[in-house]
Amino acid sequence: MALFDFFMSIIMYFVNHMEKIASYTVEHFVLIAIAILFSLVIWVSVGTAIRNNSGLAKSVLSVGSFIMSVPSIALYGILVSMPGFGLSRKSAVFGLILYAMLPIVRNVYVSLNQVDESILEAAKGMGLSPRQVLFKIQFPLALPVILAGIRVAMVMMVGIATLAVYIGERNLGSLIQQGIVRTHDVMIIVGAIIVSILAFIVDYLLGKVEKLIVSPGLISDMPDMASKKEVA
Amino acid sequence: MIKMENVVKKYKGMERPAVNSLSMEIGEGEICVFVGPSGCGKTTTLKMINRIIEPTSGEIYVNGINVIKQDPDKLRQNIGYVIQQIGLFPHMTVFENIAIVPKLLDWKEEEITKRVKELLEVVGLDPEENSSKYPKALSGGQRQRVGVARALAVNPSTMLMDEPFGAVDPVTRSQLQNEFLRLQKKIKKTICFVTHDIDEAIKMGDKIAIMDQGNLVQYDTPENILFNPNSEFVEDFVGSDRSLKVLNLLHIETVLKRDIKTVKMNNDIIVLHNFFENNKKKRAIIVDDSNKVAGYVSRNDLIKGSSSKGWNSIIKPIPTTLPMQATLRDALALMLQYDLVAVPVVEDDNSLVGVVDLNEIRTHIGEAYQEFGQDEEGCSDGAI
Repeated sequence: MALFDFFMSIIMYFVNHMEKIASYTVEHFVLIAIAILFSLVIWVSVGTAIRNNSGLAKSVLSVGSFIMSVPSIALYGILVSMPGFGLSRKSAVFGLILYAMLPIVRNVYVSLNQVDESILEAAKGMGLSPRQVLFKIQFPLALPVILAGIRVAMVMMVGIATLAVYIGERNLGSLIQQGIVRTHDVMIIVGAIIVSILAFIVDYLLGKVEKLIVSPGLISDMPDMASKKEVA
Repeated sequence: MIKMENVVKKYKGMERPAVNSLSMEIGEGEICVFVGPSGCGKTTTLKMINRIIEPTSGEIYVNGINVIKQDPDKLRQNIGYVIQQIGLFPHMTVFENIAIVPKLLDWKEEEITKRVKELLEVVGLDPEENSSKYPKALSGGQRQRVGVARALAVNPSTMLMDEPFGAVDPVTRSQLQNEFLRLQKKIKKTICFVTHDIDEAIKMGDKIAIMDQGNLVQYDTPENILFNPNSEFVEDFVGSDRSLKVLNLLHIETVLKRDIKTVKMNNDIIVLHNFFENNKKKRAIIVDDSNKVAGYVSRNDLIKGSSSKGWNSIIKPIPTTLPMQATLRDALALMLQYDLVAVPVVEDDNSLVGVVDLNEIRTHIGEAYQEFGQDEEGCSDGAI
């Protein structure tokens, strides 16, 4: 019976605080939307820029791995203490951008280099300029892997964004953080559930986007091959 | 027309140049096959023509224009290029693959549509069925055909083909070779063709350029390469069975007996009896009204079942026929397989052209050796 009561209290909390939860969710989503837009512009360009320079790529990717290994709370701590950032959305967004570096740069770099040599030679031999080869051949072919990287980055952002509440954001992380402070279990669980659902929705939507923009010629007849292409 | 003058390609750290002072000319509308062991420089030579590889020194002219002084992309757009792996773009449909260069050159939409349809028909693919397919849905042979269609898209006068039929099974390969030769008769492109397979070289080439260690060893017609190899290297490369390879070169046309006597299906049986009385033949070829082969009647069968009405029932089907473009090798293969001394030759629509017979082939091969070859050994080989 206790379990049932607990379950009911979660639902009651959800119903009673609908408005707050909705505004938190929107805030959460807006934060990662801003971060992913910047990340795409920056990291896809970086990944593209280093595609023919394996030495540079190695350094860039190790910077990415390093950032990834810094705990988010610590990273936010560092950002907040930096002049010009402080307790602001700027810091929150910047942190998320940094975390998106590895999955996006790595997948862009690897997938652009994975394009079959013979396809590139055929393209060159037909008189496509290097620019045309990049945009007409390499990017479309790399798209499934690049999207997989973006997907990983975004799902990760949904989680990391909860920690941005410590530097002034008010989002789904607030439910968890306040729940912990007030030892309000129901509040923590509601926060966690909604964050998970948001991550799931983001992943689902990106899967749909992938189906829309990746050429059917690249989609294997076996289901779910594209997501297996995520570079381990 | 392609002309090379003292073309050299040296790679850093390599003592011997990959291609050493190569000078040659490939005539308009000719297929020149570069052949040689791996590392002989044949592919390097081919790729210098469209500047996928830049020559170290020397001049290359395509249709009189120095390729080194041309924008490489412009140059390549006007030279068809087919490679072994084909390199179809997997994210594009067959249509888009073929249309890519016309689009670069800003052709009008309807012009492109028309051209793609035409090209697919030329390479023997149904446009309706295949235009919107992606490469992954095509077989190896179909991909190869699309590759050729793509190279022909803007109707270049020159084509470079680097082992284009190397990645398909032997049956498909020989089919693609035949189709390509038939196509070439119509389109008459100047073609540089690289292969490591001397049989393919003999079959495809108007001229064969044999290369070894960056040097052009012999550049000649297939006949001369086979009958008069200029060095031990060429002789070895061509192989000890060159008398058999010659068969690939000689077309049945030269031994074809036209205007042979036949009996029509609706002739009276008397005609058939007369046929056998007037000549020593054991069999008579029976044709229908439009000269299509219906079968044959053997002398023995006629004697057994000579009811005057409905003699057509003793017609037996002919086990095999030869198409017009067959070689002596094809003819001999069929003769051995079906134990025949003569095989009828038919047009595409199965109408009778004539007959090839074994004796004629033997005489002809002997003559061919006398005409081209000088060595006695070749002559004795020839009389199979």
